[in-house]
Amino acid sequence: MSNYRPSLDRLAQLAQARPNLLAGPLKLYQEQEGLDDEQLAARLGCDVEALARLALCARPRPAPHFREDVGRIARYIQADTVQLAMLIRAAETRESLTRNTGASSPTLLAARDHDNAEAADTDDGDGESDV
Amino acid sequence: MKATPEEYDFHLRICARDDPIAFAELADQFYHALLYAVSQRAGAGADSTLIEEAVGQALLDYHDHPLRYDPHLKSLQGYLVMAAYRDFQNAQARENRVRGHQISLSDPDLQERDIAGDDDPARNTFAADEIWRSIDEVFPDADERQIVELIINREHAIEPYAAILHIAHLPEDERRKQVQLVKYRITRRLRRQMKPRLHPNEGELS
Repeated sequence: MSNYRPSLDRLAQLAQARPNLLAGPLKLYQEQEGLDDEQLAARLGCDVEALARLALCARPRPAPHFREDVGRIARYIQADTVQLAMLIRAAETRESLTRNTGASSPTLLAARDHDNAEAADTDDGDGESDV
Repeated sequence: MKATPEEYDFHLRICARDDPIAFAELADQFYHALLYAVSQRAGAGADSTLIEEAVGQALLDYHDHPLRYDPHLKSLQGYLVMAAYRDFQNAQARENRVRGHQISLSDPDLQERDIAGDDDPARNTFAADEIWRSIDEVFPDADERQIVELIINREHAIEPYAAILHIAHLPEDERRKQVQLVKYRITRRLRRQMKPRLHPNEGELS
């Protein structure tokens, strides 16, 4: 009956209810994109084992701290900074839309993702990677 | 014993709320030591799932309310072990009450209604896929998933559960107790894991 295996994964699961940690929005993004852990890690350019630690990180503060915070998280989990910034923006947008509408239109989400990708490139990051 | 320099540094970083990796690093550093310490206090045979949940909750509670901890009075690890062990004891006491049939089946803790879903077909349809995906993640064990399915389908007979648990040979009283205990524990895990997914607006920081 038991597949008990102590790891940070369980803590990361519990953390999904904490609104100021990344666990919740990351999980929502992963589910809506249909990504498994390996695919999410590949998108971020980090190890799968790093995902639980990413989930336990605090959400980056808004600008002017966003870029600094994302860079710090990226260095911590050894991920690509720009990819991480885009993913966090997209995850938070999806979470916000889901919370406000109770449902998510793929078309609208895709459009918002596009806007956020541009915003991440222009507002908070200039394309350079800290990795 | 007060906080070690390392613990004090973590505490300042958590309290400052400007370091996005402080809590992750703290968890990375202390989680396994906390599991070990609470397991030692709980003794051999203690439920490791309950211990892991208790340690997780203690860490997350500290993250939410770091000022409740005074680094001049106690080590951070001691504080977290104490909090986790208290949570573990409470969880274990609840399970013991179920074991001893001291809780009525009408006790709200044992109600499956909020897991089995309400009577709104639109909402149920919308959530069904997500629920089953989540169930697969929360319950990687095939036997546990079968029990979840029985619970969600509101199966009240003991026999289907007993067959999955391979306890059909036990006396009826013992069989009923064990099934009730397993149903309670799985329902609790379901409730704890599914609520944040189905009701994302709940659980805001207080």
